[in-house]
Amino acid sequence: MNKWIGLLILFVVPAVAIASGRSASTDPAPANVAQGQQIYQQYCAACHGQQAEGAANWNKPDEKGEMPPPPHDETGHTWRHSDAMLFKMIAKGWRHPFNKTDRLTMPAFEDALTEQEIQSVIEYLKTLWTDEQRTYQATESQ
Amino acid sequence: MNAFIYRLKSALSCFVLVALAAVIPALAQAQPELDGQPVKALTSSSSGALLVLRDSGLFAIDGNAATEIPLPPSDSGAQPTSLAKGADGTTYLAGPGLGVWRYNSGNESWQSLNNTLPDLEVTAIAAHATQPETVYAYLGEKGMFRSRDGGAEWAKVDAGPQEPVQAFLHSDMPGSMESGWLFAGTTRGVARSMDCFCFWGDAGDLRGTVSAISYDPAAPENVYAVVEGQLHHSTDGGETWASVKTPGTVTALTFSPVKGFVTAVEGGNLFAHGDGGEWTPVYE
Repeated sequence: MNKWIGLLILFVVPAVAIASGRSASTDPAPANVAQGQQIYQQYCAACHGQQAEGAANWNKPDEKGEMPPPPHDETGHTWRHSDAMLFKMIAKGWRHPFNKTDRLTMPAFEDALTEQEIQSVIEYLKTLWTDEQRTYQATESQ
Repeated sequence: MNAFIYRLKSALSCFVLVALAAVIPALAQAQPELDGQPVKALTSSSSGALLVLRDSGLFAIDGNAATEIPLPPSDSGAQPTSLAKGADGTTYLAGPGLGVWRYNSGNESWQSLNNTLPDLEVTAIAAHATQPETVYAYLGEKGMFRSRDGGAEWAKVDAGPQEPVQAFLHSDMPGSMESGWLFAGTTRGVARSMDCFCFWGDAGDLRGTVSAISYDPAAPENVYAVVEGQLHHSTDGGETWASVKTPGTVTALTFSPVKGFVTAVEGGNLFAHGDGGEWTPVYE
């Protein structure tokens, strides 16, 4: 019986992954995605947008001389960063070095979220990218 | 008597030949400024010699001696235009029709790094400031390519700035999300991106076609760009720029560990920038 289950997993899981058009190795873990989406809506969407579309004119400094919150979907550059870098930015926050202010425009969430919760947000963000972007980001994460 | 005259003539001929054989190479080495051709690119070798790319070839200048380094074999349409120095001192040469080549100073030969590039139309290259195996190449509309293994495998990483790139630079200036910054001299001015290729933005308000770009490795916020022959200096990583007086129209620039900041001006002469702002000829 165990042998049949093993064979089923061996052949069916990759087939489903191929049929869905995504690489199994770059697929975000589904269990984490739902949690990550919920956390994203609670903590991130106010600045980065409900659909992760980012602020308007996000790639130019605003009137305060700060870089606005970028999109996290396929139009942004989040997919260019490794898991480790994304984790660090969520946990420790980020200030663009050429901002005219000194504050962390991206706040640190290490006191508000557990490591697992931060990781789940990253898994959710991966669902917003193209296959090509997911593959690129997986390579950067190696 | 005739025999004596014949011997005298033979001795004189031998003397003249020996003298010419000794003096001609020395003259060729001691007077690189006689070339007079504009300098297309500058960098320095692992030994500290200045590498000068002219229309007539590539020359290593060490003290007052110039030695020609034969260029790699290429088609007649190839135009060597770019030099870069890797973090380990490796010299890279590139250009349209030439692709990217690496110089092996040990056996004085060039190695082609073009096996996985889509074509040879490389208009600018940059070497990573701290990672010896990482090199960047710009191929016009085909975009920007990066190799992390010394040129064996290239992968497209970005389209690059909106305008065509004429000059390219990697810097280890602090503040990047990844390992450094990329500066691209374009037909609009200087574009800047972290080396994660997050996005290309204007580095300040400097406008015009940038033909050369460099930075001070000892103080990386200091970036230099040449716009239509005029040298400009930024002390804040490209946010603001000020023009710098030079002995002539600048065609190339580099930071040499031996000579410091060096520019080449129209006519082919090289000048080093002193601490007091003065320019002195690199060789006499």
